[in-house]
Amino acid sequence: MESIKLRKITSLWILIVLVLFIVNIVLGILMRLNQGEIIHQSPITFYANMTTHGLTQIGIWFVAGMAAVNYLLQRYVKTSYSANVVAMVLTVIGILMLWASTYIGKFHAGWTFLYPLPLKIMWAKWATPMFLGSILVMGVGWLTWSVSMMTQLLKKYPLTRALAWQHFKKNPSTQTPPFILISMITLIGIIACLLGAVLLLAMYSAEYFSNGTFVNDALLMKNLTFFFGHTIANEMLYLGLAVIYELFPEVGGRPKWKTTWYVALAWNCTLVFILTAFFHHLYMDFVQPVGFQIVGQIASYMASLPAASVTIFSVLVAVYRTPIKWSLTNLLFFIGVAGWVIGGLGAVIDVTITNNFVLHNTLWVPAHFHTYNALGNVLFSLAFFHWFFNPIYQGHP
Amino acid sequence: MFKRIILSFIAGSFFYCTAAFGQVNQANWKEDANIYEKVCDASITINKGVNLTLSQLYNEKPVLLALIFTRCSGICNPFLLQLKENLQFKISAGEFTVLVLSFDPRDTREDMELLSERLGLENNEQWLFATTGDIEKLNQSVGFNPVWDSTRSQYDHDALLVGINKDGYITKKLIGLRNRQDLAQMINSVNNIFSPSYRLPNKNLLFSCFNYNPETGKNTPGLGLLFLALPAIVALLLVFGISYSVRQKQI
Repeated sequence: MESIKLRKITSLWILIVLVLFIVNIVLGILMRLNQGEIIHQSPITFYANMTTHGLTQIGIWFVAGMAAVNYLLQRYVKTSYSANVVAMVLTVIGILMLWASTYIGKFHAGWTFLYPLPLKIMWAKWATPMFLGSILVMGVGWLTWSVSMMTQLLKKYPLTRALAWQHFKKNPSTQTPPFILISMITLIGIIACLLGAVLLLAMYSAEYFSNGTFVNDALLMKNLTFFFGHTIANEMLYLGLAVIYELFPEVGGRPKWKTTWYVALAWNCTLVFILTAFFHHLYMDFVQPVGFQIVGQIASYMASLPAASVTIFSVLVAVYRTPIKWSLTNLLFFIGVAGWVIGGLGAVIDVTITNNFVLHNTLWVPAHFHTYNALGNVLFSLAFFHWFFNPIYQGHP
Repeated sequence: MFKRIILSFIAGSFFYCTAAFGQVNQANWKEDANIYEKVCDASITINKGVNLTLSQLYNEKPVLLALIFTRCSGICNPFLLQLKENLQFKISAGEFTVLVLSFDPRDTREDMELLSERLGLENNEQWLFATTGDIEKLNQSVGFNPVWDSTRSQYDHDALLVGINKDGYITKKLIGLRNRQDLAQMINSVNNIFSPSYRLPNKNLLFSCFNYNPETGKNTPGLGLLFLALPAIVALLLVFGISYSVRQKQI
C-alpha cells in the first residue's frame, strides 16, 4: 500500500516536471529568437521570461532529483509520505506565485534577483513580496522534505556510518551503500543552502518593510544569494549522481557498486568544497577580500575533482570491456556523465580567476550551465523516469 | 599503490590550485589598490614656478592626477591627448582640476611648460603641469611603480589616472586609455556623487561584512560575516541534533 502511494506521488512529480520542462523550453526558445532578432520582445517581457525560466528550471530539476532519491531511499529506510506531499503542494503553490509575480506583476529582476534589484520597484508593488514569498514557500517545502529524509536516514544509519567514515579504517566491519553516502552528503548541503535562502529572504523582508530604517549590506546579500543559488544548482546534480550509483550497475546487470575509502573520502571532501565554491561568483566585487576569491577558486577546482573523478572512474570501469546490458536508462546515464564532464570543464575554465575577467557576464556562463544541466542533470532524471515507467525494471515484464 | 596514486593526485591538484595566488597578483586588480586611502601630501611646483602642496590643490577642487614623463616615447602622449579630447565634452557634473605630474626627476618646470604648450593647454586653467620632489612617496601612496629600462632609456609604466576627492582620498583609479564613460564615473567619484554600484556605509546598515575605518583606512570583520557562516553552522547543528535525538529515542 505504502509503495503504491509512493509510486503515485512520484509519478505525479514526474508529470509536473515534464509539463513545466516543455513550457520552459518554449520560454528558452523565445528568448533565443529575441536575441537573434527574429522576434521582438520588450525588455520587460524578455527579463520576465528569463526570471521565470531560470527559477522554474532550477526548481523542477531539483524536485526531480529529490523525488528520485526519495523513491530509491525506500529500499533502505521508510520515508515520510506526508513530507513528500507537503513538498509537492508547496512547490506547486510556489511556482504559481512565481509565475503570477512575473507575468501578472511584471517582476523581472532576473533569476538571480541580485540585491537591491527586487527592492527597486519597476513593476507592480505587490510583485516583489509575491516573488520573495514564492521562494519562501518552495524553500519551506523542500526544507521539510530534506529534513524528513535525513531524519529517516539517521534513524537507521548513525551519522558516522551515513557519512561512511568507517571506510577510512582498514577492513570496515559494515558497509555504507554509496547511494546512502551521497544522499546524506547532498541532503546536508541542501539543508545548508535552503537555510541560507531563509536568511536571505528574512533580510529582504526586513528592508522591504522597514521603510528605510534598515538597509542591507550589498556584499552580504550577494554572498547569501550565491550561497543559496550556486549550492542548490550543484546539489541537484549530486541527487542525480546518487541515482546513478544506485541504478547504473543494476540496470546494466552488474554487481552493485560498493563504497571504498576513496569514494568515502571524495564525497566527504565534496561536502566541504561545495559550500565554499560559490565565492567564485564574486570575483568582480572589489570589496570582497582577496582571500575569499582564492578560496573560491581552490574550492571550485577541488569540488569538481573528487566527485567527478570518482564517478567518471566508476562509470568507465563499469562499461569498459564489460558485458553490460545497454538500455535507454543506462545510455542516458552514460551520456549524462559525458555532458556533465563537458559542462563541468566549462565551469572550471570560468572559475579560474584570470579567465573570469574575460568570461564574466558573457554567454559562456549560460552555455556552461546549460551544458551540464541539460546534457547532464536532465539526462540523469530522464534516465530515472525511463527506469521508473519501464515495466521490466519494476518487476512487471 | 592505488592509494598512493590517488593521494599524489589530490596533493598535486592542491598545489596546482595554489596557482590562484599567482593569478590574483597578475590579474587586473591594480585599479583597486589604494582606493579610499589618503594620497601623499606632496610639494609640487606648477606653472610659472608657483610652489604648492597637493592638499592645497585638492582642498579647493577634486583632482584628476595624471602621472607621465616628458621624454616618454610610448603611452604618455596618447594618454594625455585622449584625456584632453574626452574632457572637451561635458561628460559629467562636478568641478575638478587636472594635474599632469612628472614622475621623472630629470623633468624640469620648463619641460612641463613645453609639454603644456605642445598640447595647447598652457592657457587652460583647469589643467596644471607640475614637477615634484616627493615623487617616491607619492608613487607609493597611489600604487604607481614605474620601472627604469636602461636599454631603451625609458620608464616602463602604466598610463595611470588617479581620482582624488576634496578630502584627499583616492576614490578611483583608471589604468590605460579609457573611454568617456569611465572618466565620467571617476569625475562623479571625486565629487562624492553616488555611484549606483556600491552603497556607502550608513547608520542603518547593521550587518556589514566589513567595517571601514576612514581614519586608519582599514577594514575590520563585521557582523555580516557571521551571518554568512550561519546557514552552514545551523545546518551542521541540525544534523548533529537530529542524529543525537534519534539515537536517544532508540536507546
